[in-house]
Amino acid sequence: MNSVKQTANRTALCALLIVALIPISVTGVNSADAPTTLAAPDSFSNLSDPAAQSAALFTEADKVLSSPRCVNCHPAGDRPLQGDAQRLHQPPVARGSDGFGTAAMRCSMCHQDANFDPAGMPGHAHWHLAPREMAWQNKTAGEICAQLKDPARNGGRSLDDVATHIATDSLVGWAWAPGFGRASAPGTQAQLGALIKAWIQTGSVCPQ
Amino acid sequence: MNAMSVTINGKAYGPIEVRDELSMNDFLREYLGLTGTKFGCGRAQCLSCAVIVDNPDGTSETSPTCVIPAASFAGKSIRTVEGHAQNGQLSVLQKAFIEHFSFQCGYCTAGFLNEGQVLLERLAKTQVPRADLDKTILEALDGHLCRCTGYVKYHEAVRDVILSDPKRYLS
Repeated sequence: MNSVKQTANRTALCALLIVALIPISVTGVNSADAPTTLAAPDSFSNLSDPAAQSAALFTEADKVLSSPRCVNCHPAGDRPLQGDAQRLHQPPVARGSDGFGTAAMRCSMCHQDANFDPAGMPGHAHWHLAPREMAWQNKTAGEICAQLKDPARNGGRSLDDVATHIATDSLVGWAWAPGFGRASAPGTQAQLGALIKAWIQTGSVCPQ
Repeated sequence: MNAMSVTINGKAYGPIEVRDELSMNDFLREYLGLTGTKFGCGRAQCLSCAVIVDNPDGTSETSPTCVIPAASFAGKSIRTVEGHAQNGQLSVLQKAFIEHFSFQCGYCTAGFLNEGQVLLERLAKTQVPRADLDKTILEALDGHLCRCTGYVKYHEAVRDVILSDPKRYLS
């Protein structure tokens, strides 16, 4: 009888452990509560105040901009972040003078033209860090919004250029095809592009 | 599947059919039996798997192999630890590693050797001032992990090779 009870207890314990570990091993520590979808611009049309509507559109878009897929390469310092948990990049690497790494440790040494899932290695032909002035880590939606509107901190782009970049750049698009072990950015690149376009058309107001 | 050809230590290999998922490390070790290139962390963090890539412009650089698909090396010319000795004679850097007892278990040695060799070739093209030598070596070997003898003996071995021929390596 005791043996049966112990076996049952062990089985229950194993089941509990398995259930407890699944969210960590499959989705990462921080991604369980992360948004996976984006609302369409039309869903904000019920806001009568254009400024409030514009700010709400950007707040929705910020679900992507503040996601690990974007922030990891828009870090506050000179070292990129890694994974959904946004730990510091290992091995220790630095942005270098051009954002593509230091002379002896270029990004392209490991990051090839495409993801290499057998090794869990993300890749893109232009893999690099955003310039330091485009750091989004630890920023609020309002602060990121102000950065995007500032040519001194957005690569000298007009708002239309910003919209085109976000909607069509293939490195931005990697955020929706990040390879095994990484959560995709919410929604799709086209949906994000539509949100940014609508935000601009409604006055490009930043959330407080 | 991709058909790839690659030159390794001056010898042409291929075309050989390789799976998209095959890493360069497995290609070297399992397909060609070149086991001098080690598999360490599998995450490009220890660089025991690093090989030398010879660029068409005459420069060289190291590349990890554990996280890179074999197909990415198609058409390239690389060197592994097996290619340093010529006619049974160890290279100057290999001899310096032995003289300094730079390695113990030897697992990281191939990566350090390749990185040190790339540094020597870079300095032969672009010399650095003597005052910048230690910093230059530190930066070059940075990223390679050793858990036996540490890093000082590798550093000293590379420095000795450079200081033994200052006209070649120092400005």
